[in-house]
Amino acid sequence: MSWLSRLFAGQEAGGLTLTAEQQQSIANWRQLPEPELRRSHFRSRYVVVDVEASGINVKTDRLCAIAALALVDGQLRFRDAFQLLLTDAKAVGDPVPRADGILKPIAEDGEPEVDALISFLHFVGKSPLVAYNVPFVAAMIERELAARLGVELALPWIDLAWVMPDLFRQVDQTQTGLDTWLDHFGIESIRRHDAVSDAYVASQMLQIAIAAAAHKGIDTPAGLLELEKARRHMHQSG
Amino acid sequence: MSNRATEMLVSACIRFLQGFPPFDRMEQNALRFLAEHVTLNHYPKGARILSSEMGTAHALYILQRGRVRVRATGGASNLEFSSVTLGPGQAFSIGALMAQRPTSGAYVAREDVFCYELPADDFFALTQKSTVFNLFCTQYIAGLLKQSQQQLQLQFAQRAAEQKTMNSPLSAIVKREPVAVAADASIRQVVELMAERHLGSMVVVDANGHPVGIFTLSDVLKRIVLPGTPLEQAISSVMSAAPQTLPLAANAHDAALAMAMHGIRHVLAVDEGGRLKGVVSERDLFKLQGAGLRQIRHAIDAASSVDVLLHAREDVRQLALTMLAEGGGAQEITQFISTLNDTVTRRIIELNLDRHDLYGIDWAWLSFGSEGRDEQTFTTDQDNGIVYICTDIMDREMTQLRLLEFARDVNADLDKCGFPLCKGNIMASNPELCLTLEEWEERFAHWVRTPEPQALLNATIFFDFRPLYGKFHLAHRMRISLFRQTVGNPLFLRMLAQNALSVAPPLGRIRDFVTDADPEHPGTIDLKKFGVRLFTDAARVFALARQVEATNTVARLRRTGPMMNMSSEEVAASLEGFNFIQLLRLRHQHFEQEHGRAGDNLVRPVELNEIERHILKESFRQARKLQGRLKLDYQL
Repeated sequence: MSWLSRLFAGQEAGGLTLTAEQQQSIANWRQLPEPELRRSHFRSRYVVVDVEASGINVKTDRLCAIAALALVDGQLRFRDAFQLLLTDAKAVGDPVPRADGILKPIAEDGEPEVDALISFLHFVGKSPLVAYNVPFVAAMIERELAARLGVELALPWIDLAWVMPDLFRQVDQTQTGLDTWLDHFGIESIRRHDAVSDAYVASQMLQIAIAAAAHKGIDTPAGLLELEKARRHMHQSG
Repeated sequence: MSNRATEMLVSACIRFLQGFPPFDRMEQNALRFLAEHVTLNHYPKGARILSSEMGTAHALYILQRGRVRVRATGGASNLEFSSVTLGPGQAFSIGALMAQRPTSGAYVAREDVFCYELPADDFFALTQKSTVFNLFCTQYIAGLLKQSQQQLQLQFAQRAAEQKTMNSPLSAIVKREPVAVAADASIRQVVELMAERHLGSMVVVDANGHPVGIFTLSDVLKRIVLPGTPLEQAISSVMSAAPQTLPLAANAHDAALAMAMHGIRHVLAVDEGGRLKGVVSERDLFKLQGAGLRQIRHAIDAASSVDVLLHAREDVRQLALTMLAEGGGAQEITQFISTLNDTVTRRIIELNLDRHDLYGIDWAWLSFGSEGRDEQTFTTDQDNGIVYICTDIMDREMTQLRLLEFARDVNADLDKCGFPLCKGNIMASNPELCLTLEEWEERFAHWVRTPEPQALLNATIFFDFRPLYGKFHLAHRMRISLFRQTVGNPLFLRMLAQNALSVAPPLGRIRDFVTDADPEHPGTIDLKKFGVRLFTDAARVFALARQVEATNTVARLRRTGPMMNMSSEEVAASLEGFNFIQLLRLRHQHFEQEHGRAGDNLVRPVELNEIERHILKESFRQARKLQGRLKLDYQL
């Protein structure tokens, strides 16, 4: 995916108008130490993300919202949650204005939107990222970051859609999708297809996944990444 | 950072919690606080969520999804959790949290489990914020208290089987409506009625239904047939006047005790207005009781010498043990011990009166300290004195000499019967404690007016006096004169309050209890010095300040509580605290004596189970509350 970000970064870097403060903040983020992937799941910080977009086409559809939850030492804390809504999305054609509207962080001029994206960067830090259906989620987020901030995220992504089937082979694999997994584990959505709600259920799936992984001796983020890599390799070559 | 995400997750958590008690009744802001501070954790099937090895409980657990099996981990706690399964909405580790101890059970996930966890600090903050939650936790603990008592009873159950029903109130024993006659009924009428209804006794009542006398079948022979009393004579001429009465709420033990004390075979049960409600006969009690009480009754009743009483004293101990086993409250037990000890003491006094001529002297035997408060435990020494009236100042020395000789014998006999001589010489045979009414009054007045340390110490012993034998009105006069002194001397009460505050409850800041107060016995708490005394000292100040005559701590707190605007719940809570500490003392003393040691009051908190430790802690908190009240009242 990094080629994509690089592409956008190269393309738009010149057109970026960031304040000195914003540039400093991004520089600060860049300075953060690289993720420590060989620590136990239960001593690590994962960031689970999900997005809302105007459609399912990475190339043509626009990003409407990003939601992120941190899983720290295996625990979910509600205060450790992040959401940002993109106003452009509305302009492009999201017909539904946000129902609550109260905490909408973004003003009309689009300037705070950049700040919100920088906040997102800092929320993520250099933690490994987790999502269900990484190709779509990662592409959406990385494109936005490259376009608005000129930032290449360059963080490891773990895809629950790849990891879960390996950890739970006993589960019927013919019909897999997020809903199938949620049904299987009895995880209830707050509001399906809402980015926060989906990130929340994905976080709970991650909790289940790391417990199951640890049981199989895969007890670090690096282990999960290898597991995913092996599975992709097998499926793509076979 | 966006709050909307948090808001959505918190709202969802609140909605979940609202589906279960006690959260469904909880205040909105408290519920929000809870939801904002929990973490969500996952446990795979078979994982141990919480167990005693994990050390002090650090969070409250609320199950969000999945089931958890609870198992007792054995060891000090015998609580039977055997097959308890918890499901969504149920909370655990409240007891362990509040006691800040490891849990006694093991909580194991039976399937994938999601659990909200509230860190200990936030848990305590929540108990402050929410009355509903606080009440829930308190009731939860009360439930544990019940479990603990059941456990205690189980421990002794076998030995207690003998006297299962002696705790029943008289209202349960009295079955049929009492049959009574007026005082002017003729003997013939009465005897006919008794024959017709197969009655063993007949109660004679006045116009208000108050019993004035009793006439029994055995009286027929002695008082009518043999003397040839005419049958037309009024029943009042042959009845036994002033029959023994007990309130309906008294139990069979009390009735048996009254019979033992007075050598009678019938006790009348009366309601609060003193009206006759039923007759309890010795036979009724025999039906209820096993051998134990009968033995004791005969032993004390018929004791013709100190040697016989020796056994009675042992019986008292055994019976108290039985009550302990039956789950009797500390208050009942200590009062029971005191009452039976009183009976033994009275019998010893009577036996000695045969040998000492005290004719013409108005005197009363006083008990002080724990006996004066009706709070004796298994180990108790003598604390007694004598008050007498001396009309002629010239006779004073002679009178005192006679009383002292008598007292010396009584003290020696009491010693033989298991009431060891007082090390501090607080005994009637001490000339300093065998005083005329005026001398006692003067002494009290002196202590009150010059409250130096020794005077304050004396106050804690002697101001809890109670008459045991002789002219009780002398003690009453002492009490009135004492109140006259204390009311006029606010400084004394302030000093007494300060003295009561000199010992703080042994609650630790970091650990549960302070157990190193006594360097010779590390790891222990002296439940007398650092437990019971906190309550008795505070209650004494309350009572003296408000002229409450009672000397018993429970009675003092009950009577002064309302005067101090304490709610009945507050009073009940402090009584529970006091009684629990007494109960622990009793149990400990009994255990020590069973193992041939002199029963001390040194309890090791680590040897108590989780629940007991928790309740003990709560009890100390209650003591702290009473002390807080003293501080407030006297600006200390």
